[in-house]
Amino acid sequence: MTESINIVVFIKQVPDVPSIRIDEQRMTIIREGVESIINPLDCVALQAALELREGQGGGNITAITMGPPQSEEVLREALAAGADQGILLTDPAFAGADTLATSHVLARAVSKLRQFPDLLLCGMQSIDSDTGHVGPQLAEELDLPQVCGVNEIHIDGKSLVLKRLSDGFVDTVRVSLPALLTVNKDLCPVRDLSLGEIEVAFSQREIIRWTSSDLNLQRDEVGLRGSATHVRKLRSPATRTGGKIVTGSPQTIVDTLIQKLESMSILDEEDGN
Amino acid sequence: MVRYRESKISAHHNYLVNEMPTPGFVVGNPDKQEGFYFLGDIVLPGESTPRISCRLLTEGSGDLLLELNWNRIQSNPEACIHRSIPGGFQVVHSSGDVLLEVRTRAFANGYLTRIKARLYDENGDLRMETLGDSIRVHDAEKPVLDSPFSSHA
Amino acid sequence: MRKTEINKIPGRVWVFGDYREYFQNRITLQLIAKARDLAETLNTGITVVLLGEQIHQYAMEYVAHGADTVMVADHSNLKEYEVETYTTVLAKWAKEYQPEIFLAGATSFGREFFPRLAKRLSTGLSADCVDLEVDPETSLLVQTTPSFGGELLAEVITPDRRPQMATVHPGIFREFPHNSEAIGRIIYPEVDVFSEPRVKVTRSRPQSKGKVSLEDASVVIAGGMGLGSKGQFELLNELAAILEGEVGATRPAILAGWADEDRLLGQTGKSVKAKLVISIGTSGALQYTTGIQGAETVIAINRDPNAPIFRIADLGLVADGKTVLPLLLETLRRRI
Repeated sequence: MTESINIVVFIKQVPDVPSIRIDEQRMTIIREGVESIINPLDCVALQAALELREGQGGGNITAITMGPPQSEEVLREALAAGADQGILLTDPAFAGADTLATSHVLARAVSKLRQFPDLLLCGMQSIDSDTGHVGPQLAEELDLPQVCGVNEIHIDGKSLVLKRLSDGFVDTVRVSLPALLTVNKDLCPVRDLSLGEIEVAFSQREIIRWTSSDLNLQRDEVGLRGSATHVRKLRSPATRTGGKIVTGSPQTIVDTLIQKLESMSILDEEDGN
Repeated sequence: MVRYRESKISAHHNYLVNEMPTPGFVVGNPDKQEGFYFLGDIVLPGESTPRISCRLLTEGSGDLLLELNWNRIQSNPEACIHRSIPGGFQVVHSSGDVLLEVRTRAFANGYLTRIKARLYDENGDLRMETLGDSIRVHDAEKPVLDSPFSSHA
Repeated sequence: MRKTEINKIPGRVWVFGDYREYFQNRITLQLIAKARDLAETLNTGITVVLLGEQIHQYAMEYVAHGADTVMVADHSNLKEYEVETYTTVLAKWAKEYQPEIFLAGATSFGREFFPRLAKRLSTGLSADCVDLEVDPETSLLVQTTPSFGGELLAEVITPDRRPQMATVHPGIFREFPHNSEAIGRIIYPEVDVFSEPRVKVTRSRPQSKGKVSLEDASVVIAGGMGLGSKGQFELLNELAAILEGEVGATRPAILAGWADEDRLLGQTGKSVKAKLVISIGTSGALQYTTGIQGAETVIAINRDPNAPIFRIADLGLVADGKTVLPLLLETLRRRI
C-alpha cells in the first residue's frame, strides 16, 4: 500500500568547475565566461525525488535554493523536470555564508513550509566548495536522522531501506521518515531536460522568493556575519614547477633515483655508503 | 563540571583495575613482614608477563594462605596448586576454590592483564574482588605506580 | 581509585580516535603527530577521544604514538560508529572541556559526523584539509582545504568560535613511530549513552575487491602507457611493495586493461597528497596530473625530455621506463 510522499530537494547553482580558470595574480577564480549549472549531485537528488514520487503514486516535490537572484535559473530547471514548486532564498545579507549559516537559512525555510516534508534530499557535496557539510548541518538543525552517500533508496511504509558506501563498506541502512539523505552519483542516472520543457517552466509556474525578513532571520544569523569560518586567502596548489632533469645511462638513472629515495628516508641508506 | 575517573596508561602493559588500565598498582604494604598485600608491578618493554607478588590471608582467621613473589610461590601452608592456563596462571586451593587467576592478553604491540580474586586483609576487610572483567580494588595504597616497585631480581 | 581534581584540564588539542580497520587505517596516528606540533605552539597537550567498547588496545596504541591523554567512553552502545550517538557524547565533552582545536580524519564517517557535531557546537569546520598551521600572530588554526575540485586551496580560519574543527585528508601528515616506553593519562568522563539510534545499519559488507587506499598511501607508484605492456606495468607492484606504497594508473593504462578503475589517478579518479609519487611512462596530460600535483614530491621517468610531466616533477629522469624499471627492481633486490 503506497502513500504519497512529500520531498524537499536542495539545489545549488555552481560555476561549471572544470571550465574554471584562475587569476594567478589575484588568486581568485575568473567567473566571466564560466557557465552556471546545477550542482551535478543535486541533479541526481532531484531525479531521485521524481522517481520516488512516481513509485509512490504521488506527492509534492519542492526545490529550494539559496543564492543570488540569478539562482532562479536552477529552480526553473527543477520545475521543468517536474518539481511542483521552487523556493528561492535570496537576500544580499545571505552573501558570504559558510555552511553553518547556509544550513540555518535552509532549515528556517523548511520550517516555514506549510507541511513538514517526509524526505529531504541533497547532493553529497558541491563541486565548488566540496565540503559536504550542508546536509548533515541541516539535519542537525531540523533534528532529523541523516544518511550520507546514499546510492540506493527503497521505501518500506514509513521507513526507508537504503544502501550507501562508507569507508570501503557497503552498508544497508534502515531509517524512519522523516529523514535527510545526501546522495552520491550512483543513485540514479540523470535525465536530460529538453529545451521545450524549460520554456514551459519559464512561462508558467511561479517561484516563491523569501528574504531574511520572510524567514525571521536577524543579520547576525546569516551570511558572513552568521558564519563561523572565513576564507582568509586563496592560493594555487600548482606552485609546482619542474625541478632538476637528469639524463644518462639506465644505471645512472637508477642510481640517481635510489639516492633520492635514500635522501627522503624512503629507503634506508646502504651500509658502507 | 563533568566528573571523571582517571588513571595512567602504559603503551606496553597494563593491568585492568577498577575498570581502567593501569601500568602497576599496590594494595597494602609489601615491605611489611606480615599482613595482606598485593602488588601488580610495572612490566618493562621487552617483558611479556605480568609481575604479581602478594601475601594472601584466609577470610575468617587472617592466617597466611599463600605468598607469591614475582608469580612464583614462596609460602604455601595450605598446599595450593599453581597451574598454568592459556595466557597466565591460577592458584587453586585444596578445596577447589580458585584463589587467584591472572590472565594476560597480547595485542600486536602491547599486553593487558586481567585478575580475578576475592581477597581479605588481616582485619577481615574485603580488599579486592572480581568485578565483571576487571578487579575491583578497595583502598589501594598506590592505585597507580610511577615506576617499578621492585627491581629485577 | 579516587576521583581526580576537577581542575586538571586535559590537553586542548583534540583528535578523534578512529580505530576502525586499525592497523591499516593510520589516520588517527597521523593526526596525533600533527596535533603535537599544534599543541606545542599553543602551549597545551593532546587529547585523543575514544568511543567504543573494549578499546584498551587502541588507547595504548595512541599513547604509544604520542597522545598525552586519552579520553574514553567504554560502553556497549558505542560499539558501532553511529553519527548521532557520537555527536551527542562528544558535544557534551567539548562543551565541558572547551578544546581549542578538534581534528578528525576525513573518512566517510568523519565527513558525515563532524559537520553535525560542529553544528551542534555552533562552530566552524573545514573539510578534507591538506595542511594545518597555527598562525604565530593570531594563534588561530589556519586550515588549508581544496576547493573548486582542487583547483584552488583555501586558507580558512575560525576567528571567534571554539573549537576550531577540521577533517583532515589521510596521508598528509606523518605519524610518530611506536614507543613502548610511553606513559599517558586515561580519563573516563561520565557519559549517558542513548540506546536507540534512529539510523540502523542492518548489514555491512566490505566493498568488492581488496582494499585500495590510494589516498591514504604516503608513497604512490603510478604508471602509464610508456611502460609498454601489462607485464611491465605489473612490475610496479613489486616496486610498491619494496617502498611500502600503492600503485596508481593513468586512464589509458586502465582502458588497456593493465589496472582496475579503482587505481585511476586524475580529474575523474583519485587525487593523492602523498609524500612521494613516482610516475613512470606517463606523458603528463592535465587530466592525470591534477591527481598527483598535490603530492609533496614527484619523481617522473619518461623517455621524452619534452614530456609535460617534467614541468611538474621535482626530479625528472629522462629514460625509458621499460628499461629502467626492471633494472631498478634488480638493483633494489640486491640491497635487501
